[in-house]
Amino acid sequence: MKRTAKRSLICLLPLTLALVACNRPAPPQEKLTITGSSTIAPLLVEIAQRYELQHPQLKIDVQSGGSARGIADTRQGNAHIGTVSRSPQADEQDLHWYGLARDGVGIIVNTANPVVSLSTRQIVDIYTGKLTDWAAITGKSAAISVVNKAEGRSTLEVFLRFFALRNSDIHAHVIIGDNQQGIKTVAGNAGAIGYVSIGSAEVAIKDGAAIKLLPVNGIDATIGNVANGSFPIARTLHLITTDTVDEQAQRFISYCLSASVHDLIESQYFVPVVH
Amino acid sequence: MIRSLRQRPWSDSLLALACTGAALLLAGIFFFLLWDLVRPGIGGLSWQFVSTLPAAAGRDGGIAPVIVSTLLILGVCLALSVPVALGTAIFLAQQQRGLPWAAWTRRSLDLLAAVPSVVFGLFGAVVFCELLGLGYSIAAGGLTLACMVLPFMIRAAEDGLRAVPREYHLAANALGLSQYRLLGAVILPAAAPALLAALVLAIARALAETAALLFTSGYVLRMPSSLFDSGRTLSVHIYDLAMNVNGGERNAYRSALVLLVLLLLINTATHTLSRCLSGKARI
Repeated sequence: MKRTAKRSLICLLPLTLALVACNRPAPPQEKLTITGSSTIAPLLVEIAQRYELQHPQLKIDVQSGGSARGIADTRQGNAHIGTVSRSPQADEQDLHWYGLARDGVGIIVNTANPVVSLSTRQIVDIYTGKLTDWAAITGKSAAISVVNKAEGRSTLEVFLRFFALRNSDIHAHVIIGDNQQGIKTVAGNAGAIGYVSIGSAEVAIKDGAAIKLLPVNGIDATIGNVANGSFPIARTLHLITTDTVDEQAQRFISYCLSASVHDLIESQYFVPVVH
Repeated sequence: MIRSLRQRPWSDSLLALACTGAALLLAGIFFFLLWDLVRPGIGGLSWQFVSTLPAAAGRDGGIAPVIVSTLLILGVCLALSVPVALGTAIFLAQQQRGLPWAAWTRRSLDLLAAVPSVVFGLFGAVVFCELLGLGYSIAAGGLTLACMVLPFMIRAAEDGLRAVPREYHLAANALGLSQYRLLGAVILPAAAPALLAALVLAIARALAETAALLFTSGYVLRMPSSLFDSGRTLSVHIYDLAMNVNGGERNAYRSALVLLVLLLLINTATHTLSRCLSGKARI
C-alpha cells in the first residue's frame, strides 16, 4: 500500500510542476526588453544594472543576437529598444537612431619601430602578405609580424570593412582575442603590427606599454578624434526605437545618453558620444 | 592447432597497438583540454565565485544566477523530456519493427537527431517565445532543449529496453503478471543502467547547448525569480565572456571549469544510482 502511495506521488510530481508552471503570475513590475548587437550587450547589461538600482520597480532584460535581430525585434515590437553597432542604411530611416558610443580601431606598432605613418595601401599590402619586411617603409630591415583578430571580433569587422578586405585575404602570423592580448603581443615584438580599440590602446600607453598608435590618412588615432567623428576607422553604437516609444523606454534612453554612464562606456573601451 | 600467446601473428599485434594508441590519444585530448582549463581557471575559483552575483557584465563577481538559471532550464527540460522519452521508448520497444507507425516514428526521430541545434533555437523562438507567448524565458529555453534532446534519449532508451532478455518477458507472462507489473518490476529495473546512460547523454547535450538558448532563454544575468524570467546558462555565459566582453577571459575559464565539475558531479551521481538500481529486478 505504502509503495503505491509513494509511486503515485512520484507520478504526480511532474504534473504538479507543470501546473505550477502554467500558473503564470501577473507581472508585478514593469519590464523593458532590449535586443540586438552582441558588442553593445555587455555595456547595456552594466547600464541596466545601475538603472535598476535607482528604479527598483523596473526590470530591464538585455538580449544579444546581433544588430540585424535588434532591428527586426524593434520593428516587430518584440523589443522596446534595439541595439545596432553600425550606421543606419537607406531603408532603415523609419527608425529613430540614438548614438550611444563610438568604437574606434587604431593601428598599433612597437615603440622601437621607427615608422611614423602608413598609407592605406601599405596597410593593405602588409595584411595581405605582399609586404613582409619593414625595410621598404622605414629603410631598416625587420620582418613584419602581422597580428590579426579572431573571427567574430567586432574590431575585425570594422577593420575589414574600412580596408575592403576579406578575412581569408589576410596572412596573419598571430591571431589574438581581445584588445589586451593584441597590445601585449605588439608590445613584446618589435616587428609586429596590429589593430585594437583606440580606448584600450590609449589606456595601455598611459600605463607604459611599448606601443604607439599610427595616424590613418593623416588623422591621429585619439579618443578625441573618434568622439568628433574625424577618425575614419570607427563606427557608432546605436540605440534604436520605432515611432511609438514606451515612456519608460524613452526615460531609459535618456539615461543611456547622459553623462552618468560615461564611466561605464569608457570601462568597455568605447568613447561616449556627447549630446 | 594451439598457438602460444607469444607467437601471435603480427596483424594482431598491430591491431592491439592501433586500438591502444587510439584510446591513449583520446585520453590525451581530454587531459590536454582539462589542463588548458585548469591552468588559467583554477586561480580565484572559490565558493565565493559560485555563490555571488556577477558584476561588470561578468568580468568581476561570481556566477550564482547563471548556475541557478542553468539548473532551472535543465530541470524544465528533463521534467518534460524524461516522461515523453520513456513513453515513446516503451512504445517503440514493444512494437514489432515492421509496423508503419513505429517505423515512421523512428525515421522522424533519426531526422530530428540530425537537425542542428541552432534550428531548434529558431523553432523554439517562434513556437515557445512568440506563439505561446513565453518570451525570452527559462521555460521557453527548457522546452526547446527538451525537443532537442528527445531523439537521443528515446533511441538510447529504446536500445536499453530491447536489450532486456526475452526470457524475462516470457517468465513474467507465464506468471500472469499484468503489463504494468511487468514494466515496473522487471523491465525498467533491468534496463535501468541503460536508461540512466541515456539520461546522462541528454544532460550533457543540454548543458553544452549555446546556440539554441541564445534565442530562447536569453542573455539576462539577473537572478531569476520565476520560470518566466530570462536567464543565461553557463555555456551562453562562457561564450559571451570569451567573445564579447573585454577582459572576460579569466572568468570564462573559471565558468568553464564550473561547468565541467557540474557535469562530473551529475555523471558520478547517475553512475552511483545506476549501481544501486541494477540487480534490483524483483517480482
